[in-house]
Amino acid sequence: MRRVLNLFRRSLFLKVFSLTAVISMALIYLVGSNLYGRITGGIFDEKIASAISEGRAAIQYAEYRFTIAGLNPKADYRALTEEVVKSANVSVQESGREVILLNARGVKAQSIPSVSTSNFLEPESVPEALRKKIRESSDLDWQRGELRYVNGKVIPGIFVGRTFEIPRAGKYEMYVAYDFLAQQRNIDLIGRSLWVTGFLLLALILLTASVVLRMVIRPVQVAAEIAESLTTGDLKNRMNVKGEDEIARLGVAFNQMATTLAEQIARLENLSRVQQRFVSDVSHELRTPLTTIRMASDVIHAARSNFDPTVARSAELLLSQIDKFELLLQDLLEVSRFDAEAAVLSLDRIDIANLVRRSAEDLSILAEEKGTTLRLNGFQAPVFVEADPRRIERIIRNLITNAIDHSESRPVDVTIAENESAISVGVRDYGVGLSSQYWSRVFDRFWRADPSRSRIRGGTGLGLSIAKEDANLHGGEIRVWGELGKGAHFVLTLPKKSGHRIESSTIVEIPTEVNL
Amino acid sequence: MTSIMVVDDDQDLAEMLGIVLNGVGMEVDLVSRGDEAVEVFKNSQPDLVLLDIMLPGTDGIEVCREIRKQSTRVPIVMLTAKSDTHDIVKGLEAGADDYMVKPFKPSELVARIRTRLRRVSGDTNGTLTIGDLAIDIVEHTVARGGKEIPLTRLEFDLLVALAKEPGRVFTREALLGEVWGYRHSTDTRLVNVHIQRLRAKIEHDPENPTIISTVRGVGYKAGGSGTRS
Repeated sequence: MRRVLNLFRRSLFLKVFSLTAVISMALIYLVGSNLYGRITGGIFDEKIASAISEGRAAIQYAEYRFTIAGLNPKADYRALTEEVVKSANVSVQESGREVILLNARGVKAQSIPSVSTSNFLEPESVPEALRKKIRESSDLDWQRGELRYVNGKVIPGIFVGRTFEIPRAGKYEMYVAYDFLAQQRNIDLIGRSLWVTGFLLLALILLTASVVLRMVIRPVQVAAEIAESLTTGDLKNRMNVKGEDEIARLGVAFNQMATTLAEQIARLENLSRVQQRFVSDVSHELRTPLTTIRMASDVIHAARSNFDPTVARSAELLLSQIDKFELLLQDLLEVSRFDAEAAVLSLDRIDIANLVRRSAEDLSILAEEKGTTLRLNGFQAPVFVEADPRRIERIIRNLITNAIDHSESRPVDVTIAENESAISVGVRDYGVGLSSQYWSRVFDRFWRADPSRSRIRGGTGLGLSIAKEDANLHGGEIRVWGELGKGAHFVLTLPKKSGHRIESSTIVEIPTEVNL
Repeated sequence: MTSIMVVDDDQDLAEMLGIVLNGVGMEVDLVSRGDEAVEVFKNSQPDLVLLDIMLPGTDGIEVCREIRKQSTRVPIVMLTAKSDTHDIVKGLEAGADDYMVKPFKPSELVARIRTRLRRVSGDTNGTLTIGDLAIDIVEHTVARGGKEIPLTRLEFDLLVALAKEPGRVFTREALLGEVWGYRHSTDTRLVNVHIQRLRAKIEHDPENPTIISTVRGVGYKAGGSGTRS
């Protein structure tokens, strides 16, 4: 049932087709039944009119016969009654009528039976309502009813009746009944023809509808299919346009749209290619001279003991600034790769606990210089994750370096935790801290909480921004908490399978000791 | 005296490289065009090649391939201004042993060159066997059934490092330290590409390696029954 409904919902053809079917069926039925009603009405009306006039004549004639016979006081009504009733037999060929003669009081009088009918017609066939009506007035009246015979046969027909006085015998009711057999046959025929016509008409309409629908829907279907292929990136498909009608116009417009789309995409792709090329060129063009400068300054630096103090100091400054410049160039190139969406993951299954431990070991010298210590928590067991080791290492180093820089000689806690879907590494310091309004801004490029605060470490100002991009590239995230004077907490969360969703984070960035 | 061939189109950088390498007692041949590099290589037979990827004439990757045809032994270190995975992997696949991304520190360069030139020193002497391969450490040859398989020095070093301790699982980081001389590196591309190149030469079916097997999520080991990666 649901499948049928679904099919119905998805198919324009089925919808329009069944709507057409329902509407035309209703229309054909309405017209057909109206026509049928009118025709049958006409046929019956004619028969009823002739039945009334014929019946009136027959009753009049019978009354006349009885009145004449009544003039003779010795008259025997039996034969006359029989003749009157039998008269139906005589004329059955032409009119097919039956005659019923009933004593109004239901008694036998003057040898006339209380009930006489022709051809074994049941006298109860006469509708009770008609009997009542004609007994109350002396006028002729009629009513439709059924002619029921003793042998069980039932024929629809009409009863015409009137009362009259038979001299010395009292009041009698006479009914003449006519059958509708011929009329019924005609009506049945007409009914059957109407049904057949209706069905033929319906079939014709539905056939036409399906042909027309196919003509209209086919191009729409093609358009839908091509639109679908466009969304999947195949921009070469086009509609086949024939003629100049609305469908053709749709096709032309559709094709134009597809062409424009393809052109736009090609333009953007080209733009992105140009951008990537530019980044790569800048990279090459800057790096080669920088290498020469670096080596030259290294040679100069190595020989500085031969120089006078100012030149020697200059050589030192030169080298340290080249270091800085190199880092900045590296970070800038990385950022522009992210902007050009040219950053690619080189995935591997790595033990992130080991990676963090190693990075922390490397950075412990820096921590020592700043008078702080790194406290690692939970790094004994390996924690595997599918990630790009180079990028993850960069994130970890960035977070730890950042924490050391802001630690104010208080220890830095590094924690790790995992669940089924994700791993988290938290880096918590208890130093400067940052107020909540800056939480999201720490990832902005070249952003500093306090512009007057110098960069002691000489970072490039792009570290956290790159870290966030690296995390995002893995489908992960970095969340931050901080409070002035209480330190900050950065939590990196990565899905265990790159690109998968993180169901839930394993470390909450808001420390438990902080009351909100 | 160690002779180094430097192929770089940047005259100043090449000269500077010359100054630095001369300073540590190495002789330097400078070549500025890719299409001349192979000719110079044939004539001078240097101990090591420093090769820039972007070169006029023939590009560095092609030059690398050509030099590898001439000699499987000579170490080739690519100098590249691009740190993109794509270029580096292409260079490694063309036969380079190692690469350095510009800008680099001269001390780093010298250290890297020395690592590439050092012979796998030998507390292990004589021969090793792994699978059906016979490794002669002194002669620096690998043979299967008496037939020698030509390996680059780096591939040989990689094979020996694994074969010396059959069954021990080496992480990629450990191999980077052992074979390439990196102290801290997570650049697993180097290891992956060279393991593949090595397998292509020594395995019966490189798709189902039996001599060097992958231990999924950890690294590699000599001998079978690892898991496929």
